[in-house]
Amino acid sequence: MNETLPISIARKGANVLKYLRPVFGAVILIFIIYRLIQTLLIQEIFGPETWTRLVIAGMIIGSVYALIAIGYTLVYGILFMINFAHGEVMMLGAYTCFFVFEALKNIKVGADHSLAFSNAYPVISIIIAFILGMSVSALTGFLLEKVAYRPLRQAPRLVPLISAIGASIFLQNAAQLLFSPQLRDVANPQILARGSGWKFLINGSSVTIPYTGVFTFLLSLILLVSLYLIVQKTKFGRAMRAVALDKKTASLMGIDVDKTISLTFLISGALAGAAGVMWGLHNSMVYYFTGFVPGIKAFTAAVLGGIGNLPGAMLGGLFLGIIESVGPAALGIDFQLKDVIAFLLLIVVLTFRPSGLLGEVLAKEKV
Amino acid sequence: MKKTYFQPIQIGFIFGAVNVFLVLIGFNAMVASLLAKALGEQVLTALPPFPYLAAFTILLGLWCGIAAARKSSRARIAGNVLAGWLSGLAAGSVTFVFCVGIGWLLSNKIDIRNYLTVLSFDFINGVLMGLPPLVGALANLGILAAAGAVGGLLYGFIQSSKVKQINQPILALTCSTTEKLKRLDHGRRRLAFQILGVAIAGAVVIFLPLNWGSYWNYVAGTVGLYVILGLGLNLIVGLSGQLVLGYIAFFAIGAYTMALLNSPLPYNLMWGFWPALVLGVIFAALAGLLLGLPLMRLRGDYLAIVTLGFGEIIRILLKSDVLTDFSGGPRGIQNISGPTLFGRPFNSDIDFMYLIAISVALAAFVYNRLQHSRPGRAWLSIREDETAARACGVNTTRYKLLALALGAAFAGLAGAIYASRNQFTGPEEHSLMASINVLSLIIVGGLGNIPGTILGAFALKGLPEILREFSNYRLLTFGALLVVMMLSRPEGLIPSKRPKYKTPQEADGRNAEEKNVS
Repeated sequence: MNETLPISIARKGANVLKYLRPVFGAVILIFIIYRLIQTLLIQEIFGPETWTRLVIAGMIIGSVYALIAIGYTLVYGILFMINFAHGEVMMLGAYTCFFVFEALKNIKVGADHSLAFSNAYPVISIIIAFILGMSVSALTGFLLEKVAYRPLRQAPRLVPLISAIGASIFLQNAAQLLFSPQLRDVANPQILARGSGWKFLINGSSVTIPYTGVFTFLLSLILLVSLYLIVQKTKFGRAMRAVALDKKTASLMGIDVDKTISLTFLISGALAGAAGVMWGLHNSMVYYFTGFVPGIKAFTAAVLGGIGNLPGAMLGGLFLGIIESVGPAALGIDFQLKDVIAFLLLIVVLTFRPSGLLGEVLAKEKV
Repeated sequence: MKKTYFQPIQIGFIFGAVNVFLVLIGFNAMVASLLAKALGEQVLTALPPFPYLAAFTILLGLWCGIAAARKSSRARIAGNVLAGWLSGLAAGSVTFVFCVGIGWLLSNKIDIRNYLTVLSFDFINGVLMGLPPLVGALANLGILAAAGAVGGLLYGFIQSSKVKQINQPILALTCSTTEKLKRLDHGRRRLAFQILGVAIAGAVVIFLPLNWGSYWNYVAGTVGLYVILGLGLNLIVGLSGQLVLGYIAFFAIGAYTMALLNSPLPYNLMWGFWPALVLGVIFAALAGLLLGLPLMRLRGDYLAIVTLGFGEIIRILLKSDVLTDFSGGPRGIQNISGPTLFGRPFNSDIDFMYLIAISVALAAFVYNRLQHSRPGRAWLSIREDETAARACGVNTTRYKLLALALGAAFAGLAGAIYASRNQFTGPEEHSLMASINVLSLIIVGGLGNIPGTILGAFALKGLPEILREFSNYRLLTFGALLVVMMLSRPEGLIPSKRPKYKTPQEADGRNAEEKNVS
């Protein structure tokens, strides 16, 4: 009856944690330094040419991650939901890339009808691929929001997540049934042929900077910068930030919340589509499961940078790409374990900075 | 005025697009052959006869017409028919364009099966019902429009007053029954339901496994294991509100403990089932604790992604070459020996079914007791508002860790039994998809309650087994159903009731009033 609540808040557990975290950090730090010294100074397994190669590969994959991560972050900033189907949106972009180049390869032009369109007019065909890929993905994102997320805006947080998971499974299997489960090779135009690139010598062995990689990296930088400018400088960007902060007040200020959210999905879909086309051009492996791993990685990158934070997502993507590529070699671990390093990095960063590297900007009030 | 025409046409276009999509994935052929089988016809080829393919189109048209008529909500039958016909026409015109397209492919003998797998010439011929391209396309259009109109008519008929009058008493009856049920004393009703539920479950569990074949016992066993998993995850997600996505990692720990201790390769330890079971549970709980310790500051989606990462780490480590010598690598661990009880070895799925049934009962009991105990209330308070819970003196860190460890222990139990039953465990059994399945099943069933978990496990693990006929379309349907389910019943099939606890003042209401007066 007279049960009094324990007012003194006993936090023995919290005290233990206080000591545990630095110890945990110190252990990891010592391990990393030990392995780094081992691999870099004592064993010297890899020369500088390998490191350059790894960093280049990491920067390329990182820029793709960054593009996808932006989509997660934009949607999360506004709706506080993990758009689990975002990877599949990117997968559809990659498929569009495959189909466009396949079609353009079969259109013959020139005097004797022997030159493929994609080789005769490579710039035009790449532009076509990007326009189509981005619009297919943008449309998918838009429809996804309209069908699967909009009716659930007032529901508890887990419900849209499950809906997104359902949509993700649906899109994957739809792609598998439509286009068959086989692995596709994108028919790149000759100027962006895979394997070709600027070669230079380091330590007597040649290092290639692939054209597709440079293209991917530069284009994603351009897209990221333009997106940042859109969000920061335009009227729509202002509306988006306002909706992210407070939907009700934003609607009172005359902002069409539904339209803003739809546009956000369009933009994030378009970026994912661009990432998909680049994936197709650079990695060429296009199949129904293409979007899954990059999707998860990109989400990891978004969280790493502080979800809801645009520069954070870009930085997180690049950071994750490079660490994942360089990490196994630097720590002297098997290359199969690069995903382990990516996720361990996430765990370690979140242990010490629970709201990501740059913290949350768009979404303070979540949870 | 415009809207009355516009809306059915819009619905029709959506249905037309859906029709084209279903044809492109070959769904129509699957439904048609199911229909043919149901009507007792032998289907020898992959493609059923044309009438059945047409029947699929008719069914879709009917649905389209009904949907359009329902949306337009006209009073008179004629209006419903018009709405249905318009939508059927719109759907038909989309299909018409599509059919002309594939007809053109057929007549020019262009094979694009490399890109769109189902579009073989036979299949196109089937969709066009053996007619020349343009005629076949027109036939599709006609069928959809006519079926749409019939659908509208049907809906109008059902809506018309006559049918409603027949419905009235039935409606009244059901209403009064539910009213009566509601008025029944809460405690008595619950007790009655509980006794009924336990009796049915007991009867099912005791008698049915003996009559089922080995296959159905296997399926039911899997469902039972997923019930245990679901209950464990419910402790974490449903009760304490921590979103954990890599839950299957704990299952993997249980499974691998069992496997390593009871398999000839790689260690040949052969400790026996029961010690391994206990150790599997303990190791899983410890893993939960260890994962939780550094991460308890994280909330919401941060925790989700970190646990997802943890699950993936475990899977990749198990799969990698680094641990091949210790854990069997990508090929997994085979020949795990089963349990023996009083000298009698468990060697059939029936024995395991009983073991699983007992484990499910145990897990449900533990879950139920936890839910209504002090930790259960603490978890609820954390779920509702962590800061407030903390301010009220709930040691949130400790209780969150407790939830994680206990939930992990449940998973460890399920994993150990799973490995022992299948005599095999490998890294791919513990992929992210499995975690997502468990999460989906507790949310589809209804977060935070036992009947919901059981129903969800049946729906998500049992139904796909029953729907083997769907084979290729299983996952597609599953994904679509998840979305539809969330849209129509976001709180799950069996929603949880919020428990009501009385504060001392409330329970002692009269006393408090008297005190106030005095």
